[in-house]
Amino acid sequence: MNATHEMIQVINLRKKFGRLVALDGVNLTVRRGQVIVIIGPSGSGKSTLLRCINHLETPTEGEIWIERQKITGNQRQLNAIRSQIGMVFQHFNLYPHLTVLENVTLAQRIVRKIPKSQAEAIAMHHLERVGIADKARSYPAQLSGGQQQRVAIARALAQDPKIMLFDEPTSALDPEMIKEVLDVMLNLAEEGITMVVVTHEMGFARAAADEVIFMDYGKIIERATPEVFFSQPAHERSRAFLSQILSH
Amino acid sequence: MAVKETIEAKQQIASPQLTGAEIREKIRLFPWWTVGLIGVFVLTAHLILTRPSYQDAFNFIRAGVGVTVQTTLVAYGIALVLGLFTGLGRISHNVVIQNLGTLYVELIRGIPMLVLIFFIAFVGVPAGVGLLNQIGEWFSQIGLQLIAQPLIQLENSSVPMTTRAIIALSVTYGAFQAEIFRAGIQSIGRGQMEAARAQGMTHWQAMRFIILPQAIRNVLPALGNDFVSMLKDSSLVSVLAVRDITQIAKLYAGRSFQYQEAYVTLAVLYLMMTVVLSALVKWIERRVRQDERNA
Repeated sequence: MNATHEMIQVINLRKKFGRLVALDGVNLTVRRGQVIVIIGPSGSGKSTLLRCINHLETPTEGEIWIERQKITGNQRQLNAIRSQIGMVFQHFNLYPHLTVLENVTLAQRIVRKIPKSQAEAIAMHHLERVGIADKARSYPAQLSGGQQQRVAIARALAQDPKIMLFDEPTSALDPEMIKEVLDVMLNLAEEGITMVVVTHEMGFARAAADEVIFMDYGKIIERATPEVFFSQPAHERSRAFLSQILSH
Repeated sequence: MAVKETIEAKQQIASPQLTGAEIREKIRLFPWWTVGLIGVFVLTAHLILTRPSYQDAFNFIRAGVGVTVQTTLVAYGIALVLGLFTGLGRISHNVVIQNLGTLYVELIRGIPMLVLIFFIAFVGVPAGVGLLNQIGEWFSQIGLQLIAQPLIQLENSSVPMTTRAIIALSVTYGAFQAEIFRAGIQSIGRGQMEAARAQGMTHWQAMRFIILPQAIRNVLPALGNDFVSMLKDSSLVSVLAVRDITQIAKLYAGRSFQYQEAYVTLAVLYLMMTVVLSALVKWIERRVRQDERNA
């Protein structure tokens, strides 16, 4: 692993929705293999930051680089760059008219032009990895929320991504299903995949994060290792946030 | 259809001995209207089989069924394509395309269908032919005689009324179906497009593989109802002297003075076609809903 290799670079990112400033000058570097967990109160801009990284939101100002490619203002390369970034959504966003297997093979086949049999082999490999290969022929609506989210993770992994983005992957799940998804994510983190995770699961942050980023009011307030962040947060707003969520 | 489902469900649950309340409920839920409908068909069949005047009318008028069905089918097919592209245009981010689509839909919606049929047949088609002649002239000037000649030789008077009728029907229904497709596409959650784009698909790949398959399935019942409507509205093309069943019935009535026979036969013929088609639409609707439950 090349410690100086920058996977994601966000430079002075600003995003406005009308008059609302969602991101107010964010700078962020993520190195290869790093697991970054972004936390913060709702409306702090953490999801917007994640969605700017693969340009689901167009930044108002600033630059985003993925490896050595600039993604902002680079419409022509956008789809190619996106195909190298896996994204997992809060509401899974599986394709309901396709089987689990088709969900995982479709993008491989039409974006990366991989032949069907090969795409299916890749898909089965990743479905096994998330422990759901036996549901390959099912439709998403026949699965539980936790199973659907694991399929969504397999779908993203099948893109052979350089980066995995997780946008509150467990927030829409029933409590008993959160663990099965977090376990999969922990495994991925241990395998050295570059991950940026927006979550409210502090246990996951402690266990898997190389660094925790705390955001509020569209700014990065604090960036620290989980050990430091959870035991001695430097900033007053971090302390207030932690005391609110850890108090009970 | 909901009524039928309820009845079926009740029948499965019901024990061999029905209580008075259950029998009353069954009687209340029974689709009596279908009995009335069948009665109309039986009565008409009886008239046709027993009365020579009805038999004559029926044999004469049924010759138009082919034209009615063919006109409807062809116009519907064209309207589907027109509607799909206009519907996509209505939600396009391109301002020009979006406004052109909206203008088309609003123009059509604001004009009565009968007037539109006259307008398209006697103003729209001649103007279109004139435009094609003009384009032919341009091709001729830049030396593309192969394309130019057929365009220049096109004459307004050589466009048959059946073709004009089909153009009129498809242009009109294209606007209605554009709204159906637009609503269908907009009914699919934003997350679907986002997931597809996040995987590196282009906007069109996402439309083609993710959005449209779901949207079209959702609007199948609406599209089916439009087909039934179009079959009925195809009677309007009789004003262009196209020999559909309405026109033929009119001719028959005018010639034989047997108005009752002609128009009873005509009405029942339409009714038979639409009842069968409606049943088909309901069947499709049920299938779609079942798929949703299982999927």
